[in-house]
Amino acid sequence: MTVTLYDVAYWLSSHLVALATGTSASNLPGGPWTTAAVALAWLVTGIIVFAASLVNTLILIWWERKLLGRFMDRRGAMHVGFAGLLQNLADGLKLFRKQVFSPREADQFGYYLAPTAYMVTSIILLGFLPVSTGFVGGSVPLSLLLALAIFSFAPLFIFVGSWSSNNKYSLIGGMRTAAQLVAYEIPLLLAVVSVVLLTGSFDLTTIVMDQARYGWFWLPLILGLVVFSVAMLAEMERIPFDLPEAEAELVEGWSTEYGGMLFAMTMLGDYVRGLVGSYLIVLLFLGGWTLPGPLAPLAAFPLGGIVWFQIKTYLVFGVFIWVRAALPRVRTDQLLQVGWKRMLPLSLANIVIAAALVVWGWPHLTWPAL
Amino acid sequence: MAATSAPPPPPTPPPAAVKKTAPAPGPQGLAGLVVIPMATAAKQFVKSLWRPSTIVYPYERLEDPEFRKRVAVQSGRPIGVGEVWDNYRGVHALNIATCISCNLCAFSCPDVCIEMVNVDLGNGKSKKCPEIDYGKCSFCGFCSDACPEGCLTMTSNYTITTNHRSEMVYSPQRMYSIYQTKLPMNPIRQERPVNEDAILLDQDLCIGCNACARDCPTKCITMIDIPKPQPKPGEKLPKRIWKEPMVNDADCVRCGTCISVCPKECLYWGAHP
Repeated sequence: MTVTLYDVAYWLSSHLVALATGTSASNLPGGPWTTAAVALAWLVTGIIVFAASLVNTLILIWWERKLLGRFMDRRGAMHVGFAGLLQNLADGLKLFRKQVFSPREADQFGYYLAPTAYMVTSIILLGFLPVSTGFVGGSVPLSLLLALAIFSFAPLFIFVGSWSSNNKYSLIGGMRTAAQLVAYEIPLLLAVVSVVLLTGSFDLTTIVMDQARYGWFWLPLILGLVVFSVAMLAEMERIPFDLPEAEAELVEGWSTEYGGMLFAMTMLGDYVRGLVGSYLIVLLFLGGWTLPGPLAPLAAFPLGGIVWFQIKTYLVFGVFIWVRAALPRVRTDQLLQVGWKRMLPLSLANIVIAAALVVWGWPHLTWPAL
Repeated sequence: MAATSAPPPPPTPPPAAVKKTAPAPGPQGLAGLVVIPMATAAKQFVKSLWRPSTIVYPYERLEDPEFRKRVAVQSGRPIGVGEVWDNYRGVHALNIATCISCNLCAFSCPDVCIEMVNVDLGNGKSKKCPEIDYGKCSFCGFCSDACPEGCLTMTSNYTITTNHRSEMVYSPQRMYSIYQTKLPMNPIRQERPVNEDAILLDQDLCIGCNACARDCPTKCITMIDIPKPQPKPGEKLPKRIWKEPMVNDADCVRCGTCISVCPKECLYWGAHP
């Protein structure tokens, strides 16, 4: 029997309720107390997911700083904590202590809404992305669809924030975000369609289990992996597609006017989106928390799935960091060209491949006599 | 008028047209725009994986021979700059024993960071030596250039970081202890210009007051007697002591103390007679 996240949370909450009522945790008085324990368990689940994702994001930023340092022949953060692990906490503390203010002519509601919504919509995603068997905040049958839907909220909020900042650089950044959306969203979704064709399900847990059973999807759907990764780079607005933030042309892009904790929230949102993007690539194409057949015992220890999932995620994000270290920023028209002239045909070809595999009886391929 | 009478400059020929050559096109396409840059970055990553080129300064120092040896052994490639920093302008070293208290360093300092303070030499003796405030010093090196005895020199020591500003004022004793560490030093002595190499006397102004001889750091000025002229009838002799300074040129360090202390401004720089 596998331990799930809800089991852990219910164990905690039932003990808390037992402490409050003076009974034992295995023998709670019925009625409202059990209801309270269940409700508390969901709350604890949320807190665990929230805290774990924030810690994960901090480690991700550390990973980027260290790795990017090596790519640039330097060391990155190294003084606070072991190898600079706590440097991000220190930076966050510094930003937290800063004054929060807005430009005089800014639209207050939109100005404060944008970074908040940007961060919150990013963190919501982590609630229903499965990290390991049973380790998911809320199980949704259409979790993949929901994830992609919420994932594409961000440009809207970026646009709101840039417009209400009342700054020309912010506005140009926001416009670029909106223009960029046209380029990557369609190839991204078409690349996902191929995975859905092979599994017949929008549930991420089912997709991972299918991969564990029949082999990871990166091999048959290598085109899909490439298109999805490139589109995900554009979706995360990372170099080489960080047009909305182009700090060489627009001061700090759409977040120019944000300082202090608001800046920290946009930054956190960026990296949570990076984390979610890497999660999605691992879930859809790289087998999630499972290991291929002969290596499967390596993931058998308790919470082993989470460990392997995180390792895969960091490796995928490491590739993104590698891309950031190597490539320059593209222009908007170049991004649109890549999106429409290269990625769209590739993703369509990928769908054809997936459809052909299904026709030929995936996962047990029977080659038809042509 | 000189400007107008000068002949007009010959017309310069127009510069030959520079041929613009298009830069050689680099590799294009997927290979040139993605694969080659990524391979370059990966190469750099592998190269700096064991040890990046940066030096963790407070813990590792380029001038530390141990560190240089360790890096050379570990990475197989020596790093850094030349072994001897003989022209580095760092913290000063001061040899108190040879300092003649001539004040030249303090005179030449453009930042006014040098103050002459009393140094106790024992036996009830003391003399004035420079004290340098590194909060103001710009490390121009004028002071060690000006030092006639070569006792104030600059070393390769660049570590002045302190927690408090007052700790940046280096006493003569502290600079003497730096002198004793025998760091590489750069004593530079610039020759004085020829027309300012000798101390001349305006005999009509001198009153024989002995101030120059009293303050000369090298005691190279002696007051010699001059004959008191017989006044003509009706003429009034100036009120003065009938002595004149004579400079022993071999011992003079051209510090200019005598010129600055002279109350009648009768001493001045000039060419050797």
